[in-house]
Amino acid sequence: MPVHDQGYRHYTGERTLHGRGWWVIARAGLADRLHERRFLGLLLFAWSLFVVRAVQLYIGQTLARGILFAPSEQTFQLFLDQQRLFVFFITIYAGAGLIASDRQSHALQIYLSKPITRNDYIAGKLLTLAIFLVAVTWMPAMLLLVLQVLFSGSLAFVADHPRLVPAITLASALQVALAVVTMVALSSLSASRRFAAMLYAAIAIFAAAIARVLQASTGHAGWVLLSPESTLLAVNDAIFGAGSDAAVPLPIAIGALAAVFAACIVILERRVRAVDVVA
Amino acid sequence: MIIAAEHLSKWYGHVSGLNDVTVSVPEGITGLLGPNGAGKSTFMKIVTGQLRPSTGSVRVFGEPIWGNPSQYRRLGFCPEQDAFYEHMTGMQWVEALAMLHGMSHDAAETAARHALDAVDLLDVGDRKIGAYSRGMRQRVKLAQAIVHEPQLLILDEPLSGMDPIMRRRTIRLIKDWAHAGRSVVVSSHVLHEIEAMTANILLMHNGRVVAEGNVHQIRGLIDAHPHRVSIRAEQPRALAQQLLAGDDVSSVRLDGDAVIVETPRPDSFYARLTGIAASGEAGAVDEVTSPDDNLQAVFSYLVKP
Amino acid sequence: MTAPLFGPARRVFELALGEMLRARRTAFMALAAGAPILIAILARLSVVNGTAVLTVNGSRIGTQAMFETAVSVLYLRFIVPALGVFYGTSLIADEVEDKTITYLFTRPIARGAIVLGKYLAYLLCVAAVVLPSLALVFLIMVPFQNMGPLFGTLLGDLGILALGLAAYGAVFLWAGVWFKRPLVGGLVFVFGWEPLALVLPGYLRYLTIAHYLQAGAPGVASAIAIAAAAVILSMRTIESREYVLEQ
Repeated sequence: MPVHDQGYRHYTGERTLHGRGWWVIARAGLADRLHERRFLGLLLFAWSLFVVRAVQLYIGQTLARGILFAPSEQTFQLFLDQQRLFVFFITIYAGAGLIASDRQSHALQIYLSKPITRNDYIAGKLLTLAIFLVAVTWMPAMLLLVLQVLFSGSLAFVADHPRLVPAITLASALQVALAVVTMVALSSLSASRRFAAMLYAAIAIFAAAIARVLQASTGHAGWVLLSPESTLLAVNDAIFGAGSDAAVPLPIAIGALAAVFAACIVILERRVRAVDVVA
Repeated sequence: MIIAAEHLSKWYGHVSGLNDVTVSVPEGITGLLGPNGAGKSTFMKIVTGQLRPSTGSVRVFGEPIWGNPSQYRRLGFCPEQDAFYEHMTGMQWVEALAMLHGMSHDAAETAARHALDAVDLLDVGDRKIGAYSRGMRQRVKLAQAIVHEPQLLILDEPLSGMDPIMRRRTIRLIKDWAHAGRSVVVSSHVLHEIEAMTANILLMHNGRVVAEGNVHQIRGLIDAHPHRVSIRAEQPRALAQQLLAGDDVSSVRLDGDAVIVETPRPDSFYARLTGIAASGEAGAVDEVTSPDDNLQAVFSYLVKP
Repeated sequence: MTAPLFGPARRVFELALGEMLRARRTAFMALAAGAPILIAILARLSVVNGTAVLTVNGSRIGTQAMFETAVSVLYLRFIVPALGVFYGTSLIADEVEDKTITYLFTRPIARGAIVLGKYLAYLLCVAAVVLPSLALVFLIMVPFQNMGPLFGTLLGDLGILALGLAAYGAVFLWAGVWFKRPLVGGLVFVFGWEPLALVLPGYLRYLTIAHYLQAGAPGVASAIAIAAAAVILSMRTIESREYVLEQ
């Protein structure tokens, strides 16, 4: 029987251009998380430090008018540094299952059987986590800057620190990119989101601790490169123009981060496939 | 009765999984039927002690099952989910689960071999489960359910993922288990498979039991729905005219050389039809069938929204 | 009717032990325990070369002092809690997430025996990896002539580590039995709450496990009690808890 006699009708709705699959995947990931009250609570709690800093800025500008709360470039660097804790927990909460859950439910094959490329899929997953992390790094940092301008009633602070806006943007971008790429790559390694979370926590916490201990016991600053987090701190020092205790040359630190990114991309390239080979 | 549930209800938050189910499952094979979301899996999980009833009670072999692990010696469960220790071989997995029944290592190995042989997996028992096909995974699940030779088997969609040949073999296996004295409760929504195994069904819909018992008896009880009878005859028009004369026919229509009749009183109708056929007044009657007296019809009548 | 406990727990222990030894994540456990050995070798080499810079009160400290620091900082504050969180939370939670818990729950063994068997397998596995690691670090870092006098200290440290593994593992076992996503909370407890509570004045430190591990003999009894209570609580919790597996 001809298809049209069975009541089938061609889809007449809107079709987006080919190549927007990444946004569909990202949107689904965002909607998935935003339905969880616990996660929303975590996101809100991640802004608590912003509130504290905002109050400090207000006191510094209005009540105290003193040096105690006078902002500087290091205020924003310190803020981003302190937000690392929330970046860590949000990355684990929202990122561990991004690909692992799809592997567990065999959904990867379904995704990759649609007219989307692997790059669309990976980009969508990266974007999902990146949006959440930007919301707790770049957004509150920029908002603090805006508040500083509003409280002071002039753009003098921004004019006196012209590299602050690009520094905040670059530091946030690096922080977000490192967390996102690492977490999504680790998530692709396993069908267990718990294992992926464990791996990420090990890299973030353990590697940093080992690097510090080795640095302290051997006196070589180069051990900081063992920990991507510690390396990022050294790069942030350069971005904000602060002196670095690690004393690792900037090109080497950037090279180390680039190596981490490259390793993660290789992992994603090898692991995000529609077929799983079982020995 | 092997399973007795009384006023059994189960809620998942605000969602009702089972709604005041009172049912007794006899020995033998019982088919648990229903569309997706009917409550079949919930019922099976309560009967196997994985979920606790919200209200009501359930007894298996006369004893409560929740928190009574000793009952599992007599019970074998094949769950619906596709979940295994993937890195283990089929043999290792079934053997390990057999040892959890208290068998020694040697006894467990022997039992595992028998179980795998029964489901035709002995030759691939040394392969990792992660490398098994869908049908093989389903069969190894069956193997772990029967390895300890339980008295009652609870099988949740056991034929899912199997090819037609394996389906037939598994149905035969289930019937053999029942002949050997085991009771089996098997769920499916593929009606002809249940029909091939048993005439004793439990039909569920929206968390309730809408019918239980022999499928033919159930059909007879559905008085609100007239029976449909198809009669292939030499002179269908003449036959139709004769049939319309009686008060036990609610509708007649012609379909080629067949007369399709709907009757609210099938016994009276069949008696009259026999008389008409014997007299030859409406020509020869070649075939009489009831497309209604089967599980599909029962299912459709009772489960229709 | 109370089902027997120890026989079934032993059977679960054997199954879980095989699982843990085969699992990929055990390699991670070995790596975690291997890192201090690497640090020990490098630290010893740096002392031998004269390039070590670790100082306390202006004086360079030797490898023996480094060993003591390694025990209290690296092992007790990082490795032991991390392994307790990672493996303790996954003992039951992984079975639930993978939906293999059904097969354990439909065997004629008490649910509490499942918990006990898995916990004992975890304890044996982590102890078999971490304790030799500490012993090796001792052999590498402590000068040969001091090994004899300090052997008793080593045994004490091994005991504290074992106790730490038992206590953290038990507490996070319970977290894994009770909560659906225990890992994040566990990390917050171990790397957020404990360091904070230990430095704040008052009684907050009693709400940590680390305090009891550092408190000497009285702390040992408390840590044992915490471990035992957490295991018993886990066994009771799993007996009464329902696990609705996601379809």
